[in-house]
Amino acid sequence: MCGIAGLFHKGDGDEPVGAALLRMLGALARRGPDSAGVALFGAGVPRGEVCWIKIPEDASPDESEAIALQRLGTVVRTVSHRRARGLVRAVIERACPVADLTGRVERDGFEVVSLGRRLELVKQVGDPSGLSEILDVEGFRGSHGIGHTRLSTESKVDLSHSQPFWARGVPDLATVHNGHITNYDRLRRTYEQRGHRFFTHNDSEVIAVYIADSMSRGRSFEETLRASLDDLDGSFTYLAATADEFGYARDPFALKPLITVETDDVVAVANEEIAIRSVLGSAGAAHEPSGHVHRVWQRSPLRTGAAA
Amino acid sequence: MLEAIAVDCAERTTREINRAIRGAVAEGRQVRVTDPGAQHNLAVAVLRAGEIVIEGSAGYYCGGMNDGATIEIRGSAGWGVGEGMLSGRITVHGNAGNAAAASIRGGTVVVRGDCAARAGVAMKGGLLLVGGDAGYMTGFMMQRGAIVIGGDAGDALADSMYEGVIFLGGDVASLGNDAVFADVTAEDERMLADAYAASGLELPRKLRKVVSGRRLWNFERSDMAAWREAL
Repeated sequence: MCGIAGLFHKGDGDEPVGAALLRMLGALARRGPDSAGVALFGAGVPRGEVCWIKIPEDASPDESEAIALQRLGTVVRTVSHRRARGLVRAVIERACPVADLTGRVERDGFEVVSLGRRLELVKQVGDPSGLSEILDVEGFRGSHGIGHTRLSTESKVDLSHSQPFWARGVPDLATVHNGHITNYDRLRRTYEQRGHRFFTHNDSEVIAVYIADSMSRGRSFEETLRASLDDLDGSFTYLAATADEFGYARDPFALKPLITVETDDVVAVANEEIAIRSVLGSAGAAHEPSGHVHRVWQRSPLRTGAAA
Repeated sequence: MLEAIAVDCAERTTREINRAIRGAVAEGRQVRVTDPGAQHNLAVAVLRAGEIVIEGSAGYYCGGMNDGATIEIRGSAGWGVGEGMLSGRITVHGNAGNAAAASIRGGTVVVRGDCAARAGVAMKGGLLLVGGDAGYMTGFMMQRGAIVIGGDAGDALADSMYEGVIFLGGDVASLGNDAVFADVTAEDERMLADAYAASGLELPRKLRKVVSGRRLWNFERSDMAAWREAL
């Protein structure tokens, strides 16, 4: 079991989406006490991109932060930075391809956890309440977000193995998954041969790689989610989001729960309705789709950096 | 008539809520379950006649193991609504999640909206009436009882069913292994009229009937292809 939740506002994109997602994850915490994380889409930084980097757990945090910044400095301009628990958040201005950045940073325990103009992705071991020590999730305003509470079944419990996963290589794209991908080994081999790098033995990571690979080959977000219904094997309900899109995909056998509520203003998705009711009250009718389904919602692009 | 009792779910554990519900039912009172917030396991194992109204959505397994109570859910229901029910009636005003009425032995489950996957899985008796559509593998491995689907059914309807009967008002994406169409009899029509009388649903005008083809009851070498497909 894992808990997944997503919230997508159709309006002007200035909603308390962080606090709402935290409430949803709180309601799902029993589905996954091991770790928690959120991927939130706000107005974004005025210039450049936000890059979250995981630093090694077994080294001096000060030295690791300095190493991360030094490595970043060889490929991008760092506008500002700060450290929170095992993560460094840097606002950067990048002219190089994403692969140059990740290739430069990611050695001996350093890992780029996310990159994007509007995406803030934070995760940690423990229950969702600890996330606010990394980022002001409670006060975060934006248009949409996805979150996860993890019950590890097959791979280890640490920050890297936690969700959401950034779709490595594609800015502003993240996913959360509940289930098991049974063709993980085969898919992983295929993607490694194509040059994709994996940082965990968590089968959910392959969904993020799948989406990144598919979209970098020119398929749309919607086409990618649709194709995944046949390309992924096993049990899966996953949510994914870009800066302007939000969607779910569910395996043909409908093995993992997926409840949706849509009103004129908002779409809320979770694997238990209790999470949705914790933020929407009695608004909207809950619906569980059958198997082999996907759905995508889009919003008109926000002007990046529109709010302070 | 004794006054109805309100059982509020906020700030209470599931065990406290269900204890309060059973206590009120034992006193012969109607129970209003307020602020349910889609909590799980509400009104499970109520083993006597009584009237329970859940004023909102219920989570997983609402009314499970019910034996005699009439439960009305004024919202939607999560997975396994009424699972293992012996007798009584459960009405869901909204939609139901996966495995509605799973393994029921008796009683009636009415879902006015849609059901997700595997509604009526392994039913051993009783009745499931669906006002809207029913998803993938509805009636999977059903053994007795009846399912009526007012709307459309998804893929693999009635897959590997032993006995029992499914009536379908709309279209079906595909029949499951060893499921076949059969003629609706006068006896079926009487049963359906009775079943719908108290359901709050309108009996669909035209129903098709799906039953087991019985080819998978016993292994015959000549049926090898069907077995390969089913397994």
